[in-house]
Amino acid sequence: MNLSYRIGYVFFRNLMSYKRFVVPTFIASLIQPLFYLVTFGIGMGAYMGQFGGKSYLDFLVPGVLVSSVMLSASFECLYGTFIKMIHEKLYDSLLATPVSAEDAVAGDIAWGAFRGLVSGTLMMLVAMVMGVSPVSIPSVLLLFVLMVFVGILFGSLAMIVTSFAPNFDFFSYYTELILTPMLFFSGVFFPLDRFPGWMKSFAQFLPLTHAVAVARAVFSGVYPRGLIANFLVIVGLETVVFWAALKLMKRRLVK
Amino acid sequence: MSAIITAKDLVKKYGDLTAVDGISFEIGEGECFGFLGPNGAGKTSTVKMIHCVSPVTSGSLTVAGLPAHIDNRVLKKMTGVIPQEITLDNDLTVYENLIVFSKFFDIPRREAKVRIAEHIKFVELEAKRNSRISQLSTGMKRRLLIARALLNNPRLIIADEPTTGLDPQARHLIWQRLRQLKAQGVTLILTTQYMEEAQQLCDRIVIMYQGKILKGGLPSRLIEDEIGREVAEIRIPPEEDAKLIAQLEGFSSGHERVGDTLFFYCKDGHNLRHKLVELDLPNTVHRPATLEDVFLKLTGRSLIE
Repeated sequence: MNLSYRIGYVFFRNLMSYKRFVVPTFIASLIQPLFYLVTFGIGMGAYMGQFGGKSYLDFLVPGVLVSSVMLSASFECLYGTFIKMIHEKLYDSLLATPVSAEDAVAGDIAWGAFRGLVSGTLMMLVAMVMGVSPVSIPSVLLLFVLMVFVGILFGSLAMIVTSFAPNFDFFSYYTELILTPMLFFSGVFFPLDRFPGWMKSFAQFLPLTHAVAVARAVFSGVYPRGLIANFLVIVGLETVVFWAALKLMKRRLVK
Repeated sequence: MSAIITAKDLVKKYGDLTAVDGISFEIGEGECFGFLGPNGAGKTSTVKMIHCVSPVTSGSLTVAGLPAHIDNRVLKKMTGVIPQEITLDNDLTVYENLIVFSKFFDIPRREAKVRIAEHIKFVELEAKRNSRISQLSTGMKRRLLIARALLNNPRLIIADEPTTGLDPQARHLIWQRLRQLKAQGVTLILTTQYMEEAQQLCDRIVIMYQGKILKGGLPSRLIEDEIGREVAEIRIPPEEDAKLIAQLEGFSSGHERVGDTLFFYCKDGHNLRHKLVELDLPNTVHRPATLEDVFLKLTGRSLIE
């Protein structure tokens, strides 16, 4: 493992290029989660009655928020990184400088996490406009921290997929077979407690389930017992996939 | 001349494919050293090991006294690379490309600005300072790659086929710039398939083929030793070969038939020329020997695929 402060330089490169795409990426990262909030939250919410003493929209917002972080970080580290690696050959020029392969990949994961943070923050603002806000200022700050963790987790997972991807189409397997189903099995749209036992157990294997649980608790300020376990799962898994992402990408980049 | 690069029994394998097959060479400080060879000869694989982006499979390779290694940041810091492929950042402008790259080398912002202004001028891109990469011609992109390779004031510059795909004007401009750098005492390593480029720039060359070094030395000496001074190309039907070879016996130092042409090599063209005039053959070209003749003689005149 050959990591250094040069991660920041890679992040800086991405920031330089981002300034030309800010507006389109804002729109792109807002549209899908916003769609969920409006259709499910308002449309379906009208038929749902109360959810633990609150409206369905209140239930929905924290989950959609971390999902938007997940999607943004994932897409950045799938398509964004693939373009930089294969089409633009940016990694080739990076590796010829004192920036190591690990620095470059970690810098891109950090960038993916940042993009996730931006999407999540935008979502939070939209939710506030719709009348759903985190319970307190500390809870807002905790949500930022959580979003960074979630971003690094899904950025690293996506990076692992990228390290194997022969072409763009390969990413459909991951987005359609893993990310999209995960949205529906992780308690974003409805609570998991009425699922049959096997589905509940299955959900525990999905990293998004844990992120949603923590987000919902932080959002409402009500911390159920066992939440620390959810958080530890996120951090533990994140450490492993981050490490694996650097190793696998290095294997692909250095020939 | 002290050696800045020493390679001994250097091997590079990609899976089952052996790209570099046990080569040894030394490159002196301040020298311009050329790797020549057809596509797939192992030139790029060799220079990639030198500038530490590709691991050495076996053998030893030291640069400035340090072992070349993928994680050797010290060597990467003192090396400038002009890559074969255009690896510029299309999302950024010319200036931003250079600013970002100078950061990768830990060059302080103020110093970076001075160097960038200097290098943009050196490669004649002042007018394009704020243009996006897509607005540049191929020649401009190649020049920008040179400017980028100079940001860290490298002691060693690696130019991997730096003029591929350029028109003659752009090519000559790049040659001039590379010669200027060499005059400043920088060690220059060049890979090329253009013999003229090697003759223009290199003090010493090696000719690579299928991962091995076939021959090496001063370009002029190689031509002299392998071919001689002059070459006569005669287009006659193969049936007449034997007769003509007999007639030119003693005038040439060697001959070779390739396709429709019979090549005669000679050390002293004077007598051969007289003899050719005397024989009054049609379709005859008589010219000085070039590095291209050496290259083709060593690597074969047929297509390599």
